[in-house]
Amino acid sequence: MPPIISVENLVKRYSQLTAVGGVSFSVEQGEVFGILGPNGAGKTTTLECIEGLQAPTGGAITVLGMDVAADPRGVKGRIGVQLQASSYFDYLTLTEILELFGSFYPQRTQPMELLARMGLESKASARVNQLSGGQKQRFSVAATLVSDPEIVFLDEPTTGLDPQARRNLWEVVQGIHAEGRTVVLTTHYMDEAQLLCDRVAIMDQGKLIALDTPARLAETLPAPYTVRAATPTALDANALLGLEGVLDAEMSDGTLTLHSSDATRTVPALIALADGGLRELEVSLATLEDVFLAMTGHNLRD
Amino acid sequence: MPFVELFKANIRTLLRNRQALFWSMAFPLIFVFVFGLFFGGDVQRTTLLVIDRADDPISHGLVAQLEALDSFSVETRGDEAAARQEVRDGDAGYLLIFPEGMSSIVSAGGTARPVLVYDQGNASAPIVIGAVGRMLDAINLQASGSAQLLALHAEGVQGQDLSYFDFLLPGFVSMGIMTYSIIGIASVMALYREQKVLKRLLASPLRVRHFFAAIVLAHLLLSLVQAVVIAGVGMLVFDAQVRGNVAMLFLVVLLGNTVFLSIGFIIGALSRTVQAASGLGNAVAMPMMFLSGTFFPRDTLPSVLKALVDFLPLSAMVDLLRGMALDARPLWDFPELLALLLAWAVGSALVAVRVFRFS
Repeated sequence: MPPIISVENLVKRYSQLTAVGGVSFSVEQGEVFGILGPNGAGKTTTLECIEGLQAPTGGAITVLGMDVAADPRGVKGRIGVQLQASSYFDYLTLTEILELFGSFYPQRTQPMELLARMGLESKASARVNQLSGGQKQRFSVAATLVSDPEIVFLDEPTTGLDPQARRNLWEVVQGIHAEGRTVVLTTHYMDEAQLLCDRVAIMDQGKLIALDTPARLAETLPAPYTVRAATPTALDANALLGLEGVLDAEMSDGTLTLHSSDATRTVPALIALADGGLRELEVSLATLEDVFLAMTGHNLRD
Repeated sequence: MPFVELFKANIRTLLRNRQALFWSMAFPLIFVFVFGLFFGGDVQRTTLLVIDRADDPISHGLVAQLEALDSFSVETRGDEAAARQEVRDGDAGYLLIFPEGMSSIVSAGGTARPVLVYDQGNASAPIVIGAVGRMLDAINLQASGSAQLLALHAEGVQGQDLSYFDFLLPGFVSMGIMTYSIIGIASVMALYREQKVLKRLLASPLRVRHFFAAIVLAHLLLSLVQAVVIAGVGMLVFDAQVRGNVAMLFLVVLLGNTVFLSIGFIIGALSRTVQAASGLGNAVAMPMMFLSGTFFPRDTLPSVLKALVDFLPLSAMVDLLRGMALDARPLWDFPELLALLLAWAVGSALVAVRVFRFS
């Protein structure tokens, strides 16, 4: 099956600034595809070029087999778009806004059905400015679904939300995915990308610097695994460093921390070395934050 | 139907936005009430003093005409100095002096010069001067001196019973539509862009022309409602007279509003924020409101300024509405004004389409 979205050598230049400098990737049907990067990395510009909202300076984009530059309206009719921090009409109720947006598309979903799916039935005749931050975001996701789209684009859907509302929205995204739709989202939250996305593209300064599943991205690090354990008796530091896969070892307050290239080999060797003296053994894979730091030399939220 | 839904959305927004309702209705109505209380209705009658030195058929005819007008109670005086003092003191509004031998001057083909004395601070003076002037013009045109021609003329001016408020009302209608369309559209467009509503619409397959058609049509419809409400209150509460063909008056309202909506779109496109849009809108609308003769005839402006101000779209709209509503004349009696307003409508709409941007 051909990719549902294909981006080839996308370039977007504004008078002085190059927002996107030659990015290529493709998105497969039915996956949740994340674009991760700090502010100003070119995530939103890339998304808006795919959505037909901005004309690329160079490169070719195909969505659902259609050339976006040649037929932007054709593409817009089959995708659902949530913009970063956009609003809706202040003086219309949620139902009225969904009816309005529904009228722009040949196929549409009933407003009440959409609101029910987002847990907003009780707000049907409220206005957007009467909603909480989380409700607003859920409503704007509802508005992207009004056309029953094949691809849903979400630009930083959880930015500015409290933890409860974020978790709530993650469930919404997983629900959309479960309906068989392809989801493309941008985020600068690692945990979000790791939890939601099948594949993640990491962008920095207008370039694509990595693209893979979150787990495989983590494995590209020299020591992707962290092994932690409480040890009542101190272990010999040289012996620890000699364990298979271990790159560095650290002991403090009775807690041992090892960084390992291969946890499946390191852990049995460690258990044998400690000879029953281990408590609370814990193995974790590196986060995308670590990946980003290793690849760019700077933090995501700089 | 995206257009129908957008039109409904715009009408709902207009009705639910209290600030918009204030600017569109309450703001001009405040002027209608204030000026209506001062100058409207039949309660207020101005005393017109007459010194008739001519004492001939023409002067008798004119006095009879003036007495027939509701706006004046005509009183005869003998002593000119005392009568002038009455006007100066505000006890009487006007003093009209017919010179001796007026009839014979007119029949000899000369120019008789009746004198109208009024207080320069009298706001309605231009109306009265105009009304008396029109009576005299008619006589000058038919300078045969025969009593019969005078009688004929009396019929011609029967309708000219106009108050200052009648003069003001078309100005208030135009002003209300102008301020609302310019400031309202400019701030709404800036707001929609700031809140990314426009961009969100652009992300859908909606056709841009449907979006504009819906906004423009909703506002054009509102301007007709504005015109009916503002003029209606003036007519019902303050007995204002509006003559002329209603369809043609509406046509001028729509044409004028097209200009103001386009100016609103242009300002909305040039402004970065809602505050800037509203400020710039006010900066354009307010001077135009005063300069274009909403409250007083532009004849009192310095001639250079008047020549410029005559070209403003509000001037053309006000003059057209006044010409039609006060004298019951048809639209095609004013080809220059109509051409000016049309030129504004086409020109401003073209500029608006060119400069408008979504993000």
